[in-house]
Amino acid sequence: MADRVVLCIGTKKGLFVAEASKSRGRFSLRGPFGSGVAVYSALIDTRKSTRIYASSCNAWFGMKVLASTDLGKKFKETKSAPAFPEKDGRALANIWSLEPGSDSKDLWAGVEPASLFRSEDGGNTWEMVAGISNHKHSKDWHPGAGGLCLHTIVRDGDRIHLGISTGGHYLSEDGGQTFNAANEGVGAGFDPNPYPEFGQCVHKIARHPDAPGRLYMQNHGGWPERPGIGVLRSDDFGHTWQSIAEGLPSDFGFPILVHPHDPDTIYVVPLEPMTRTCPEGKPAVWRSTTGGKKWKKLSKGLPKKDGYFTVLHDAMTTDTLASPAIYFGTTTGQLWMGHDGGDEWKCVFDSLPPINCVKAAVV
Amino acid sequence: MSISVQVPYVLRHECGGKSELEVSAATVQQTLVALKDRQPKLYRNICDETGTVRRHINLFVNESLIHRKDGLETKLEPGDLLFIMTAVSGG
Repeated sequence: MADRVVLCIGTKKGLFVAEASKSRGRFSLRGPFGSGVAVYSALIDTRKSTRIYASSCNAWFGMKVLASTDLGKKFKETKSAPAFPEKDGRALANIWSLEPGSDSKDLWAGVEPASLFRSEDGGNTWEMVAGISNHKHSKDWHPGAGGLCLHTIVRDGDRIHLGISTGGHYLSEDGGQTFNAANEGVGAGFDPNPYPEFGQCVHKIARHPDAPGRLYMQNHGGWPERPGIGVLRSDDFGHTWQSIAEGLPSDFGFPILVHPHDPDTIYVVPLEPMTRTCPEGKPAVWRSTTGGKKWKKLSKGLPKKDGYFTVLHDAMTTDTLASPAIYFGTTTGQLWMGHDGGDEWKCVFDSLPPINCVKAAVV
Repeated sequence: MSISVQVPYVLRHECGGKSELEVSAATVQQTLVALKDRQPKLYRNICDETGTVRRHINLFVNESLIHRKDGLETKLEPGDLLFIMTAVSGG
């Protein structure tokens, strides 16, 4: 019987695991794991016996994949991390995404430079997915400030959505054999062509399993001459996209999140586009309960002023309890929890290292 | 021709706990090739998929950084020591 909430917090100085009862009254913290090096992606895999996976970006010795079978009391390196074929000429720089595949040992990893890898043995061996990693467009992708990263993997049976910065949204409808750019309506403020076929700086893509054809995207907005391109919705499995940014204070941001029980309810964290921090130093999460038609500011409990942090693309998540909590981590090391779907916020940890990613599960 | 590779503490678990490996090689490059064959896990912590020595790893022959000599083509003499060192970096 599920009775605990577990959080994985990937930071600049390693991975932390937090645990609380279902009341979420007090979280205990353990870590840092992974030799204190940066963790950009984590996965709490509840498909069979619960396992935690995390990437470990070791500046000296390269990428590692960490795995735990005891809810993060201890971690071991898997036998190998993703690696490009020897003659490929590319070298793995980071792992930006870890996602579950179809069976209990099937894992997918989105990496930098933008490529996709798959493991069928729980992360011990990895194969490059050529359909996207060697895509004919890949030579024309280019890195954003965070690197050339494949950071979002959204799976729905044989349909796979990928988010690439800076490559755009790519869609496979044959289980990952082939991928096509699917960016109609996705704008780019840094390209002479406002709506290129590919090359957009997608920040995050999200969907709800009850509405598989509807997707939400936080794109790189914040362009005065091209307003409204930053927050988007698709109703046709990502083939075309429309703006849902009207009513937000900024269409720039990194994460976008869907409520675990309602595909119409979504969350974004608007940021001031030049500094990538909270507008006017007043942090707020914005929620729409209408699939992006209207937005409401949620700031009860958050700082009223002097809050100049960034919430990165994978640093907002939700648990799946009946009245779910929303969690986000900041580049200033705070972990915030929003009770009742974000109606009221509480700082759970206030002095962690800068937070790259947050994952939650009820186990 | 035998030279000795000195393994730093933090990498010894990648080669069965050994602090020193004996390798038959005439250059630093040949040493890395030998490590790739005999100690692949250790090698992958030193070099990436392209065979490039990782950015924050320094290789010394005796007391000289190989970048101040002939890089990977630096010649080795019998009894030389090749040190694998982690560079000062981070923050």
